[in-house]
Amino acid sequence: MSGPEELALDVRRAGVAFGSTRVLDDVNVTLSRGGSVALIGPNGAGKSTLIRSVLGLVPLASGEIHVLGRSAEDARIDVAYVPQIDALDPEFPISVLGVVLMGRYRRIGWIRRPDRNERKIAMDALATVGLIERAKDRFGLLSGGQRQRVLIARAIAQQAKLLLLDEPFNGVDSTTQTMLLDVLDDLRANGAAVVMSTHDLAVAHLACDDCVLLNRRQVAFGPVARVLTDDLLRETYGPPAVQLRHGQDTVSVAVPVSAD
Amino acid sequence: MDLINAFRAPFMQRALVEMLLLSILAGVVGVHVLLRRLAFVTDALTHTVFPGLAIAFALKASLIGGALVSAVFSAVLLTLIVSGRNVDHDAALVAITASFFAVGVIIVSRSHSFTADLNALLFGRILTVNRTAIIETVAIGLVVLLALTLFSKELLFRAFDPDGAAAQGYRVVLLDLLLNVTVALVVVAALQAVGTLLVITLIITPAALARLISSRIPTMMAIACFASALSGWFGLAFSYRASVRHNWRVAAGPAITVTLTLAFVVVAATRWLVGRR
Repeated sequence: MSGPEELALDVRRAGVAFGSTRVLDDVNVTLSRGGSVALIGPNGAGKSTLIRSVLGLVPLASGEIHVLGRSAEDARIDVAYVPQIDALDPEFPISVLGVVLMGRYRRIGWIRRPDRNERKIAMDALATVGLIERAKDRFGLLSGGQRQRVLIARAIAQQAKLLLLDEPFNGVDSTTQTMLLDVLDDLRANGAAVVMSTHDLAVAHLACDDCVLLNRRQVAFGPVARVLTDDLLRETYGPPAVQLRHGQDTVSVAVPVSAD
Repeated sequence: MDLINAFRAPFMQRALVEMLLLSILAGVVGVHVLLRRLAFVTDALTHTVFPGLAIAFALKASLIGGALVSAVFSAVLLTLIVSGRNVDHDAALVAITASFFAVGVIIVSRSHSFTADLNALLFGRILTVNRTAIIETVAIGLVVLLALTLFSKELLFRAFDPDGAAAQGYRVVLLDLLLNVTVALVVVAALQAVGTLLVITLIITPAALARLISSRIPTMMAIACFASALSGWFGLAFSYRASVRHNWRVAAGPAITVTLTLAFVVVAATRWLVGRR
């Protein structure tokens, strides 16, 4: 069991309410440095809300969240948020390098401009995701998978100790997915912790140690193999949820099927 | 057309200098407005500044002082409305725009020279711009350009990825307020030249034209400033020739805004034709 100072994330009995509506209740998650956890649940389950509360952007109605041993607000400089690519305007006139440099802005500070050293860090991050040759291209000209790689590069450039990824593999081809998973593995090997929301249970099996099943409350939290069971998935998604298996050990995908 | 001769008279020279200064200001601010998709909020700002102007006019106080107070108040109010989660932004903006504007008209309508005064406040009188007005524009311009230069990377981040900026600890509402105040200051600077109704064209149209040509933000700003300055020059010259040589009485402010719009149409049509090849 990790001590509080070794935890990247410590969520205790956290709850979030919008007005009188409770959208998340009694969530308890611990994540060690270098560890990874998947947030799994249906649309509207509170995955993004939990990520936003870890960022300190959503006030807690109950419980507490500690990030890297600090309050969520104090830890922001060491936390990288990777939004869904659909949330960003592809027509926005900014270069790939410009997007990655945004990961350096807080360390650069107000008013100052990125210098040669900052640009080198950003270019190195782009090299890590294999997009250094696209540095000058407009961000919106890249494919969905490439844009996702740029956002991961931004998180790398930020030199964050905790990465929060919101549906990072939506619309991403399998080659890009494999590459991104390798990059995340490298980051974890260097001590960064990863939280990712996903609908894809195969990704959770491949990339995460632990898993949180959410549906406005925490259904289960623990090692992936112990949590992703048919019973718990049914409790999370509703009775029609099924899990498809390949062989004895490998889970390829889980699908909540329509009751119709 | 008398592109040079029209500017022999000192009042035309002052008008041209004022237009060139406003072109730089509006060109830079306009690109920020375009990136943030703030055209509607900017339009609302042009209207909400009006009551302060009208009150200052009625009290025979400094017009620019009244406009400045009103502009900052409007920027704060609109920032709070747009950042609020429980408000229908569009409906609130429309209600405030209309009601603020109505209050301004009520105040101005109590003066004896109502029509002429209202006309000047709404459409501006660039040909009456004096040295003091030019100095005021320079002062406002320096504040606006300094603020936008110092905080350009933060404003860019907020425009591109507001959640990402907030996640890194930026107070998005403060960045919004900063941009809205700079927009309001440009509105104030442009009031005497083009009035509260036409200033929106000066801010939005050159930036929209520049976006058609370039995808690089510094280039967009340069193109917007150049297009605005060129349109100001042509518009003033056209107004002068039409009024002096042909006795058509073409107001300078509207002539400039129409020239800008025509420039936008020409660039958009050219781009469309080139794209079809």
